[in-house]
Amino acid sequence: MIAKKAQFNFAWMFAIIVGGAILFLAIYGALQTGDTKRFQSDTESAKSISILTDPLQAGFSEGSFGKISFPKETRINNVCFSEGEGKGFGENQLSVSTRSNIGDEWNLPGAATSIQNKYIFSDEKNTGEEYYVFSKPFYLPYKVSDLVFITPKKYCFFDSPDKVLEDLEGLNIPNIQLATESEEGCTIKDPINVCFKGGPDCDINVYGTGQYNEGTVEKSGESQRFTGNLMYAAIFSEKENYECNVERLFYRSGKIAEGLIQKADLMDIRGCDSNLKIPLAQWADLMKVSKASEVASLESTARQIDKQNSRELCRLW
Amino acid sequence: MVKAGQMKIQQMAFMIVAVFFFFILVGIFFLRVQFADLQGTSAELQKEQAISSLSVIANMPELNCDSRENLCLDQDKLEVMSGEFGNKYDDFWPVSSIKVYIISTSKEIIQCPGINCNYFELFDNGQKNSEEYSTYVSVCEKRKETGYVYDNCEIAKLVVGRNINEK
Repeated sequence: MIAKKAQFNFAWMFAIIVGGAILFLAIYGALQTGDTKRFQSDTESAKSISILTDPLQAGFSEGSFGKISFPKETRINNVCFSEGEGKGFGENQLSVSTRSNIGDEWNLPGAATSIQNKYIFSDEKNTGEEYYVFSKPFYLPYKVSDLVFITPKKYCFFDSPDKVLEDLEGLNIPNIQLATESEEGCTIKDPINVCFKGGPDCDINVYGTGQYNEGTVEKSGESQRFTGNLMYAAIFSEKENYECNVERLFYRSGKIAEGLIQKADLMDIRGCDSNLKIPLAQWADLMKVSKASEVASLESTARQIDKQNSRELCRLW
Repeated sequence: MVKAGQMKIQQMAFMIVAVFFFFILVGIFFLRVQFADLQGTSAELQKEQAISSLSVIANMPELNCDSRENLCLDQDKLEVMSGEFGNKYDDFWPVSSIKVYIISTSKEIIQCPGINCNYFELFDNGQKNSEEYSTYVSVCEKRKETGYVYDNCEIAKLVVGRNINEK
């Protein structure tokens, strides 16, 4: 009788322990698989953003616009590394994380996608379901690259100069509303106010001369110097991201200058002489030492080189 | 009685081992399906990137005619980029190889720089298994004759490659 009772207890205990272990492993496995699947999907999203921005680059147009929508609120992380950190052309590392229902507010991001041949301006952490992507070309003094701006935020531009009106009206970007004089002109809910002539409720102030070919963008108590279309970059991105990408653009501009000097040598052999080799060599040297804060002061030198090129019979660009 | 009990425990142990192996097999099968799916997605994304890179690469200021013409490559820039200078761009390209074939009547492929050359190798990461995508472009060079400057253009094929993962 005692032996029978012991057998019964042992069998049940054995079954419960092993059954529990199997159940625990199954739940753990399911959670891990779910996590891996989420990591995979976030990694795919980051790679897809990189690919989706390819056709959105301005190319030969004056700009281009597109929208990226996610099924639920998503965070895009954009970390910039400049060439100073031993990365040559530098890179933007894009990663995506989704909202978590347990523990931390956001899941750990998927694997980052490194992008060396694009200059993506945005905040370091962007949160939203709909992201607006647009691009503008950047010349210094020749075309260096397209600047890509990614933002989920909505903006009201007050008293924009003609150049900005021309730029943005054509692109018809839904998250940017162009308003004049009073705030009543802006119908977007909770926008970021960008003012070109100052005002009481400005989140971002843009100061520039003439058609804002060069100037300063002031936001959150910090100022960023700009030239040309870098004005949009300064408006839509955080200071660290802006400065890092501008320094990457300087590096690229310097490398293009080196390539153009070699192109001039080849053209010389065919009797198509160019007087730009010395100015370009000086420009390439200047690009190596320039900092993002000096970008506006480079404008006049760049304009001079561009003028010199346009006077040449055999132009280099 | 004790023997019957031992028999039952043995039966149960065998059953548990069988169930355990069953779960492992299901897990392996599941992982395999997942991994195949991951490889497929990765390949698809790489393919999309290679195709979209064609126009991006052709319109880059390092290769483009004068930053105003679409799908037009500058022959001088091609020569510069296929030389030693191009090594500085090794980490820059989003694809595994970039080649430009000038379309000519000659069937022989002669690498540039060289006499009557018709092939520029701008970048190759050395990967053996790769799939190639191409588009037609024009390749132009500026020439000066009797005081006039003109563009001399030829038709060419821009070919980019993407790595294929070995299975």
